Amino acid sequence: MDRLLLILSTFAFAGAVVQALTSLKAGTWKESRWHWVPMLIGLLFQTAFLYLRGQDHGRCPLTNLFEVFIFIGWAIVLLYFLVGTTYRLSLLGVFTAPMIALLQALALFSSLDQSVPRERTAPNAWLEMHAAISLIAYAAFAMACVTGIMYLVQERLLKRHRIHGLFYQLPPIHELGKAIQRLIITGSLLLTVGLAASIPLHLPISNPKLVFAWTVWFMYLGVNLIIWRRMLSARQTAWLAVVSFIVPLVSVGIVTRA
Amino acid sequence: MSSGPRIVCLGINYRTTPVELRERLAFPEATLPDANRQVQSLPAFSESVIVSTCNRVEIYAAHENESAHQQLIDYLVQHFQLVPDQAEALVCYKLDDDEAARHLFRVVSGLDSMVLGETEIFGQVKQAYKTALESGTTSRLLNKLVQRAFSVGKLVREKTAIQRGSTSVGSVAVDLAGKIFDLKTCRVMLIGAGEMARTCAQSLLSRGAQSIIVSNRSHDRALELAAEFKGSAMKFDEWEHALHEVDIVISSTSAPHFVVKPELVQKVMRQRRGHPLFLIDIAVPRDIDPTVNDLEDVYVYDIDALSAIAEDGRRERERQLAICEQLIEEQLVKFGITTPP
Repeated sequence: MDRLLLILSTFAFAGAVVQALTSLKAGTWKESRWHWVPMLIGLLFQTAFLYLRGQDHGRCPLTNLFEVFIFIGWAIVLLYFLVGTTYRLSLLGVFTAPMIALLQALALFSSLDQSVPRERTAPNAWLEMHAAISLIAYAAFAMACVTGIMYLVQERLLKRHRIHGLFYQLPPIHELGKAIQRLIITGSLLLTVGLAASIPLHLPISNPKLVFAWTVWFMYLGVNLIIWRRMLSARQTAWLAVVSFIVPLVSVGIVTRA
Repeated sequence: MSSGPRIVCLGINYRTTPVELRERLAFPEATLPDANRQVQSLPAFSESVIVSTCNRVEIYAAHENESAHQQLIDYLVQHFQLVPDQAEALVCYKLDDDEAARHLFRVVSGLDSMVLGETEIFGQVKQAYKTALESGTTSRLLNKLVQRAFSVGKLVREKTAIQRGSTSVGSVAVDLAGKIFDLKTCRVMLIGAGEMARTCAQSLLSRGAQSIIVSNRSHDRALELAAEFKGSAMKFDEWEHALHEVDIVISSTSAPHFVVKPELVQKVMRQRRGHPLFLIDIAVPRDIDPTVNDLEDVYVYDIDALSAIAEDGRRERERQLAICEQLIEEQLVKFGITTPP
């Protein structure tokens, strides 16, 4: 049943991509609430999936890489609704939906969903808070990556004088630049809270999960510093947001498998 | 014998009437309520909406008058006290019922405008209708027609790309600037005082650009232009020192060589610390070395690039025209109008 919900959710995100691409190609794309509908449906199915898994495990559903991917996807869509409406970033959904559809399709077709037999123990609130908030922080970094890609596309169109349909629909680069900065700051703050929540757990400093989480934290601290000191051009900053996301992405894979 | 009230549209526009006569026939906003009432009180007229803009004057009326067209022409001649020569030169289009509805739908959708697909006309018709409504000169027939026209106008905007793109060099410059900066915080520098550069600057300022600096070989001309734009003037040998403070540069000098070179912009960009710079080169021969476009966060557009984008915009709108006409015909059928154009 839970996998069916996930399949439906993946179809909803894929539908959002098809709908957007069709109207972009026809030149009739307009940012409207109707484009959010498939995203909202996808989010509802994701939420239902995570709820069922949570009920099943008796804790936050982050027991394997499959669930971690879905949780990150869920947090990205949630952030999309927050960021998309706050910054009114047109086409953010068009760039977000394929990422989620791909993430979920990969998760569904892989053998990642192998439940580890565990004893049903009482959930540790600090551990759950640490894991959930850290993953939401990673979702913010993922959104910064998506926004960075949008920046690079728009910047390239401007540089090459390719002023056509996509150019008019993409947000201005100054708004994208601001959104990248805010998302990286938001992600960094959330990760700080997530790491602070791990302190009462008294985990050893050599714990690989903590080592990777701190590595990501320090790296984004550096990124924030670079942005704050304006050490790079706006385009290079966008590249930095895109490339930096590789680190949390890889670390999630390694840590969850460990 | 009349079979009930009919709709008539009598009008002049930029196609039928030269500006000298159009400006003579324009209804000042304050006189519109009275003018609407005057039309309504013509024999066998019951409703009236007058649309008066710089490009058109149109009277939409409901009537049961056999000679409605002539009545309205006589009204215009009398109202504007046209001399016989002017009255004779007056060429109006006279449209009845289905044709009047089709025309209004096209007008509201921007298909009858000088700049195809422009949206200002929608607001102007809306204002004209509001004035008529408040003057009590509309009733069932015109209310239904005009409201339907607004729905059609919205539909055309939503379902087609008739408004997409820019069709003039000035609007292209504004669109591009809007994709790079928040225009409200933008400072503009004008190097040289060519007419097209002036138009571009005017477009940017009308869309909210914060301030303008004018630098020209003739400092008097710079002062004159700065006063016109409520900006500041700068001596021609000083503009390079202020380049790092502005976001948009419009260059239109008559220099035979490049005025803005990569070395200068490189230095300026270091001072701007990641803030982009938009350079518009209106001059022929060009003022800005095209290799400046290779620098990080610098965007250079010369007159050919801007003109090509404007031309693309015009072509795209013309491509959309057939789709819009089709949509309007569908809406006319829904409205119960089946007479082909």
